[in-house]
Amino acid sequence: MHRRNFGRLLAAGTLFLAATAMMPVPAMAQAGKTIVGGFDVGPGGFQGNFNPLTATAGFTWLNTYFEPLVIYTSDLSKLTGALASEFTVGQDNLTYTFKLVQTNWHDGKPFTSADVKFTLELAKNAESGSIFAARLGDIASVETLDERTAVVKLSKPNSAFLSVLSQVMMLPRHALSPVPLKEVAKSQWWSTQPIGTGPFKFVKYVSDQYVEMAAYEGYRGGKPKADRLINRYFANAAAAVAALRAGEIQFTFAEPDDAKTFKGNGNFRIIEGDSYVVNYIGFNHRAGIWNDPRVRQAVMYAIDRNAIVSSLYGGAAKLANCGYVAPQLLPKGLSDYAYNPQKAKDLLAEAGWDKINGDKPIPWLTYYNTPQVANVMAAIQAMLVQVGINVVPRALDVPTYNGIARSEKWPDFPLVYAGLQNGPNPASLNIGLNAAQIPPAGNNIMRVEMPALTQALNTAMGETDPAKADAKWQQVCKEMNAQLPWGPMWVASRYGVVSGKLRDFFWTPAPAGGPFVSHPEKWDIAP
Amino acid sequence: MAALAHNRSAGPIRRALSRFFENGAAVAGLAILVPILLLTLTYDLWWPYRPNDIDLLAMNRGPSPTHWLGSDGVGRDIMARLLQGGRTSLLVATVSMAISTFIGFFIGAIAGFAGRLVDGVTMRFVDLAMTLPPVIFLLVLASIVGSGIMPTIFVISLLSWPVLSRMVRARLLELRERDFVVASRGMGAGLWHLLIRHGLPNTIDILVVYATLQVASGILLEAGLSFLGLGVTPPEASWGNMLNAARATHVLENYPWQWMFPGGALVVTVLAINFVGDGLRDAFDPRSELK
Amino acid sequence: MLHYILRRTAVGLLMLLALTVLIFTLLRLTPGDPIDAYVNPSVPMSAADLEMLRTRLGLDQPLPVQYFAWLGAALTGDFGYSIQYNGEAVLPLVLSRIGPTILLMFSALAISVVIGIATGIFAAVRRNRFADLSLSTAAFVGISSPAFLTALLGLYVFAVILRWVPAGGMLTPGAPFSIGDLLAHLILPATLLSIGHGALIMRYMRSSLLEVLSQDYVRTARAKGVREFWVIVKHAVRNALLPVITLIGSTIGIAIGGAIFIESVFDWPGMGLLMINAVARRDYPVIMCATLLTGACVILVNLLTDIAYAAVDPRIKVA
Repeated sequence: MHRRNFGRLLAAGTLFLAATAMMPVPAMAQAGKTIVGGFDVGPGGFQGNFNPLTATAGFTWLNTYFEPLVIYTSDLSKLTGALASEFTVGQDNLTYTFKLVQTNWHDGKPFTSADVKFTLELAKNAESGSIFAARLGDIASVETLDERTAVVKLSKPNSAFLSVLSQVMMLPRHALSPVPLKEVAKSQWWSTQPIGTGPFKFVKYVSDQYVEMAAYEGYRGGKPKADRLINRYFANAAAAVAALRAGEIQFTFAEPDDAKTFKGNGNFRIIEGDSYVVNYIGFNHRAGIWNDPRVRQAVMYAIDRNAIVSSLYGGAAKLANCGYVAPQLLPKGLSDYAYNPQKAKDLLAEAGWDKINGDKPIPWLTYYNTPQVANVMAAIQAMLVQVGINVVPRALDVPTYNGIARSEKWPDFPLVYAGLQNGPNPASLNIGLNAAQIPPAGNNIMRVEMPALTQALNTAMGETDPAKADAKWQQVCKEMNAQLPWGPMWVASRYGVVSGKLRDFFWTPAPAGGPFVSHPEKWDIAP
Repeated sequence: MAALAHNRSAGPIRRALSRFFENGAAVAGLAILVPILLLTLTYDLWWPYRPNDIDLLAMNRGPSPTHWLGSDGVGRDIMARLLQGGRTSLLVATVSMAISTFIGFFIGAIAGFAGRLVDGVTMRFVDLAMTLPPVIFLLVLASIVGSGIMPTIFVISLLSWPVLSRMVRARLLELRERDFVVASRGMGAGLWHLLIRHGLPNTIDILVVYATLQVASGILLEAGLSFLGLGVTPPEASWGNMLNAARATHVLENYPWQWMFPGGALVVTVLAINFVGDGLRDAFDPRSELK
Repeated sequence: MLHYILRRTAVGLLMLLALTVLIFTLLRLTPGDPIDAYVNPSVPMSAADLEMLRTRLGLDQPLPVQYFAWLGAALTGDFGYSIQYNGEAVLPLVLSRIGPTILLMFSALAISVVIGIATGIFAAVRRNRFADLSLSTAAFVGISSPAFLTALLGLYVFAVILRWVPAGGMLTPGAPFSIGDLLAHLILPATLLSIGHGALIMRYMRSSLLEVLSQDYVRTARAKGVREFWVIVKHAVRNALLPVITLIGSTIGIAIGGAIFIESVFDWPGMGLLMINAVARRDYPVIMCATLLTGACVILVNLLTDIAYAAVDPRIKVA
């Protein structure tokens, strides 16, 4: 064989191999009425978590097979009964009586008040790995009057009790009571054979790929219209959007910019909703450079929030002048800190910013790793430079951010860009602003210590009459607006995108994924 | 040395250079590379926009007479970011290449020449370095040194050298048994002498091929690390974090100039460096005269 | 030889031990622990609840205590429970990811080795001719493209626009297992992954073969009238493969760790994705176990490469 022929042979072989390697293989078709979605994509999701007692998010999905006693309505405005057909609060504000619905677990055993007692006691006990232990710490006793009635007694009034309870999914006593308390959190039961009372029952979890559910024929709200419900896992929202466009899934959360690309596309429906998260510039009150209120005001005046909202958010964000944007929580006469760079410069000069910090770079941390926030921070950085504040944005992953905030090394995080849930229950903000919530007690990582604000928060928290509560929260808003414990920025919208093939599908971007009334049994898919 | 070389009929370096310039691809590579270097190094003298100037009224604009390459999501000029990003990427790549080639060669050569005990110990050390998972390594470094250009250089250098060490050692092990090395060693040559006089010339092809590929992979690694959010952090521009914009489908589709230009610049630069490296390899190969 | 292998194995075990100490220390130097990874800062969570979890997991113990507790359990084969995956036992979890990773990496490696070596030889034989130049240029472009960008573009073009292949994942969710389905998911990431490796192998093969072809014994063989095909196959390729074997060897070792970029873009449930997720959530037990396993693979492969050297080139005495 000649050198030339040898070359030809090699070339032919290579071509052949390349051709076989490139041959497209047709994708598989699926049978039955199956809805596939990225239900755990985005900030409200929690991929890989199956234990509702350790869930900090992901309730949208958990709620397709587990159910709580009470649940938020689909507009998140108030609580309504789920497994409790009715619930009443005693005059003393300490006794909660729950009338339970008549229903069965997925394995056919009846759901009773014993399950309620079992679940609440499990959730209250930190030994079980529950992250509700401290929040349910006020429960003094759970009594079962009869099979259909459970009575919970608190040791002291707690206006947030029912709202916490909406995230406590009821668990079957007969399946879990044999598991030793300490083994509950690492039991295989959660990801292999959990049973709930919801419209769908667990089939299987394929690690890091998807969770499969099948219709629960005996669901009290009627047999679900879809035969199967699949929750596909994605490394990020962009990947889920790609799968949605490829027609492989019918629903996912989407970043605002990605959601925009579906506008005008008849095959998809965009869901827009309030994120219930107020974004703020957090001043570390122990860093020593933000003590003068004029400096904090200067930061507000230096930022053209209107321009950022209209350009970077496409108008889909509400400006916040305190921690709230809901109209009933806003008092009259709030300062709007309208863009005024000259005023910012004057305030800084008065405060002697040159001596406080000058143009030394200030690290500005965030745990948001989205392109949108990167752009927002770049824009704010440029605006702050104009008035002489030199911030350097730095995006971290969540554990690093939390770890640094916990470390108490103030120079490491003098300034953050963060968010905190501000609704539907306005009391959510308390944990980040009340002086009593400074770590390790709570989550006031910016170490806000403002007596008037703490006083206002305590008053509002103690108000159990819903009619009078709004006025108390308005006072909180007023204090925040005047004293600027944070530089409040805005509340942005969040998005989901749904394929036009889905019928009667409901989703809303609730904080932590809800749970909220979504009637998964009504979800249907066109062939 | 240089003077000596010039005194000979035609110095080896001059001959190598003339061979280099006869190589079309290499010259083309150089012709691409030199302007890129000049542009990135001097852009602030002649380009009106700065890489971090935002303009919320000119976001996501396509290429135009004012913004030649368009603007990005906060109205920053792509051209300015591209050139500043090139500066960053090339800096990261070349510095880390120099460090890793240096470490890689010396460790590999010492292992190859210094005897079995040293060889065994060093190579186990190399193995250990190869087993370190890059993601963890990078996270830890970023948290200790802070993320940015220096940690990225550090990580890329420390991740890259073990492969070179193993290849240098492989070549020199073979060499160790050859007559001229055995003779040289018999005549009492020290380790240093062996490394420089025998190790270096006999591994120069590996080193040059490695070094060129390493500048390439340095640029690529930087891009990859930035893609994972672990490299050069925004708003500092680098080709890597500019390319990261392509991750969002809407940018990929609607604003191609935001990722095509950095992508194109990256591929072209790496390509040019590779051509030059290849030309150098052929030119400095002492055996190529015989062909 | 047996003695040599035994000794290397013992050294390998010591290295693994060193590796665990190193990783353990590095991990604890990183800010943020598994509990910090648990909570999105936007969600109001009581710090007291988190502190209780920390105590429960023993994260409040001094570091050496934690390390020896881990080591003691690991020696008995108990690698603990994953923190992120609802207490799944770590060892089966990590082992379950090796299959997909090996499948992906070896498909890609097979494609790249065959194509890389073949085109490398071809280019060397046709040095500086049109075929060589175009192949080399193609290889250069292959090496010059960032893996994640080709992956993103590939995914976009072939899955989103053309819909030839699925958009990520390993199996169609809910569908019964079939080889066709697996291959449909495998083909795109494997091909994209092979580009870089293949181009690299081609360049080393070409450069190494050119080196060998200029050696005396090749010229002697040619002078003796041995046909060019046999000169290349019998004399040149065998010797030119040496550095290429090193390259492939080191690639295999690293391959077990998974292709981080491709796996994360394609949501391929392999070691790379597992590792990224584990690091993102600071899942210490998973990180330790996965590192140990990939470390063992790298060490093993390096050992095998060294043995392969000795086999290919008898002049090398085993050190």
